[in-house]
Parts: sequence; structure tokens; C-alpha cells
Amino acid sequence: MDIKKSQYKLIVIGGSAGSFSVVTALLKQIPKKFEIPIIICMHRLKHVRSGFEETLSLISKNMVTEPFHNDVLEKGKIYIAPANYHLIVEPEMTISLSTEELVNYTRPSIDVLFSSAAHSLKSSVIGIILSGANKDGARGLAQIHEMGGCTIVQDPTEAQVSTMPLTAIEQCKPTFVFKQNQIIDFIIDVSKTRR
Amino acid sequence: MSVGANELKRFITCVQKNSTYNFSEYSENSLIRRIEKILIDNTCTFDILLERIRNDSDYLHSIVKQITVNTTELFRDPKFWQDFRHDIIPELQKKESITIWHAGCSTGQEVYSMLILLHELKLLERATVFASDINEDVIEIAQKGEYPYRFYDDYKEAFKQVIKFNPYGKPFKHTPFEKYFEVNAKKSILQTASFLKNKVQFFTHDLIALSPFTDQKFDIIFCRNVLIYFKADYQKKIYECFYHSLNPESYLVLGMQESMGWFMNSLFQKKNSVYCKWEI
Repeated sequence: MDIKKSQYKLIVIGGSAGSFSVVTALLKQIPKKFEIPIIICMHRLKHVRSGFEETLSLISKNMVTEPFHNDVLEKGKIYIAPANYHLIVEPEMTISLSTEELVNYTRPSIDVLFSSAAHSLKSSVIGIILSGANKDGARGLAQIHEMGGCTIVQDPTEAQVSTMPLTAIEQCKPTFVFKQNQIIDFIIDVSKTRR
Repeated sequence: MSVGANELKRFITCVQKNSTYNFSEYSENSLIRRIEKILIDNTCTFDILLERIRNDSDYLHSIVKQITVNTTELFRDPKFWQDFRHDIIPELQKKESITIWHAGCSTGQEVYSMLILLHELKLLERATVFASDINEDVIEIAQKGEYPYRFYDDYKEAFKQVIKFNPYGKPFKHTPFEKYFEVNAKKSILQTASFLKNKVQFFTHDLIALSPFTDQKFDIIFCRNVLIYFKADYQKKIYECFYHSLNPESYLVLGMQESMGWFMNSLFQKKNSVYCKWEI
């Protein structure tokens, strides 16, 4: 399928069980001075706060940060949804955090992130669903799709846990079903078109 | 249905006309999301919502309560409480009396977290504790101190990390969770111990008013994950209001991912999630 790669302003990635290795591979390979901000929402233990940001920072050539409320989304930065907050993308390309109720039994919820990105930035969003053991993210991915954004799901045959990719494919009919390496190549390629 | 800027304006005006509540200083995007959620939860259209708010004051109050409800937990962010114990408690131990305000206390779990910590460190006697929220329903829950049993594992784990395990000093390995919460399996609730509940004075109070509910000055104000729902300009006004309600050598505590912004540097000095009052 043909898509115009220069239209994208934000990449949002959601993953749960079995997605950490994909995320680390991705962060390792993304070149320095990456042109599009990336937000990663992973389900994690809420009482364990320290270590996550630090571990991913060591791997990545770009700055990895757990954002504060009202932070502005900037290119070349990778944002990790902080434990126990929902992360919301605002139309002004800023981040809001919220302690509202759990969604799909989780906070941060991938649906909350994806759906806010879709409503705020319309067709300028790339949404990616990785391995996971629950159904969070499928609804949000479908909303990105409806708004004309690009949707990618990790190939369920490759994903360590296939529930999340399978649910996403069922509910959204994504633009692409990609293996890990294809996802990484696609992201790097999209960034190049913006130089 | 989606709520736009125009609907938001009509909603705010309508509430203002028919009650003492003023949402004009709330962050627009988060208010829009909450109104949209209300429309879904109550399965009604925006116009019907406004109509009912105009004609039925009980309904208006129920909507306001749905908008202003917030979540809280026992020892939310154990790391914060560990740091607090290390950085701030030694300073409090120097004081003869400790006056505390939990602003936007919601259902009260944070109030009881602080009381448990004070009790373990033998500071409870010195403490005077106030807690306030705009929402009467959550105040009522906070006063009762009854929490759903489904939180048991979660609260016990956080309790263990803050009270039983202490990375910086003496842990209280043998303090049982049940010392502070009676687990009532029959009613399926966790019941807060009376000696904690009796220690707190609860008030209904709207932070929009920019004046505290008492002339009392405080040694600590907790306001965690509350001001993220207000507009940035108004947050600043509330910080200033807090500043004037604080004693010398006192502290303002915000959420882990909340930041006051550089413009407050002249009033407060930041240490982890705690802001210490500067003396001018």
C-alpha cells in the first residue's frame, strides 16, 4: 500500500507482555537526531518506578524520558508513559498526564494514548501495536485508522504473546502487519523523509 | 458525540449560572474528555445534558461530582514515600507541632498513608491534620475510611515497600498491614483503624476560591495530581495561595510527574517531588 510518509508528526507504540525485547531492539537501531517524536506505552508494574527510563536511555542514541505534565513533544526524543498515569496527547503537541480510572484494567492505557493522539493529530499519527497478553490498544488503533493515520501491528506469528496483535488486527484491519525488523525499517524510513 | 470549544463554553456558563461551581479555570481538554465520558455514561446528548442541568439542581450536583472525582491510592508511588521519609521526616522531627493539609484529598488514602508513616515514626501526637476536597461524596468515603477489598493486594504491596522495607534506614519489618486496616471479608472491605480516622478534620473546599478554609498555617501541604486538571495560569495562582498558607521551613508536595515550572523558583526550591518554601 502506498502512503505519504511525510505527513506524520508522531509515532505511538503500545506493548505489553513480550514487547520489551522489540522495544529495546527498536531503540538500539533508531539513528541519532530522529525526526519524529515517539511515545511508548508499555504495561508495567506500577510500584516499580525506577530503572525503566534509565535502562532504555542506555540503549538509545536519542533522549529517553518519562515526561512531566504539560511537556512539549519534540523531535529526537522518545517518551515513555510513566507508571500509574495515563498519557494523553493534546492538539498543541503537548502531553497531559492523568490519574483518572484504569482503562482495560491498566494505567497507563494504550487505548487512552492512541485515541487522544488520533483525535488531536488526526491523520498525522502512526500507531503500532506489539506483543501483549490483553486487548488494550485495539480500540485506539482503530481510531487512528478512522482518522486516516497509519496503523501497524506486529505479526502475531512472530509476537511472543499474540493476543494483543490478534485483537488489534480483528478490530482495526491495520495498514500493515509487519515483523519486528520491518517495523524498525519502516520507522527509520519515515524519519528520513522529513530531513 | 464529540464536545467542542463552543459546547464547553455553554456547559461552563450553564453550571456557573445554576450553582456556585466554576469550571472556567479547568484545563479545557481534560474537561472536554470528562464531559464526553459523562454523555456516554449517562447515554444522553449534549443538549439534553444542559437542559437537565438547568432544571434539576440535584442532577447538576451529580454531574459536578462525576466531573470532580479523582483517584488516589494507599502509598501511591512507594519511591516518593521512601524519599519523603529520608528527606523530609528528619526535618519534621525537629518541630514541636506538625500541621498538615491534604488539598484535594479525594477518597482519603493519601491522608491515611501519611498518618501511618507519622504513627510508625512516633510523630502522630504532634500532628494536626486537615483534608479537603470539592466533592462531598469523596469526603464522605474518606471519613468512613472503607475501601473495596479488591485493593487489598495492591495496598499491602505498597505498604510493604514503604513501611516494612526502607532502603535508607531502619525498616519496620514486623509491622502488620492489619494494624491499620481491618480486613472485613464478609463485607468485602478494608476498614481504616479508628485512631487514624479520628485524627483528621475533613472539609468541603474548592481550590478555585484561592483562599484556604482556615487561618491556620501549614507545615506541609499535599496536593498530588490535582492541579494537572487546571489551566497553567491558574495553577500558578494556587501555588501562590499555598505559599502564603505555609509556615517558614515548610513543604508543598506534588505528584511524581508534576512540575511547578521555572516561574515558581523564587518561591520554592525543589527536592525530588517536594517543594521547600524559600524565605523571602
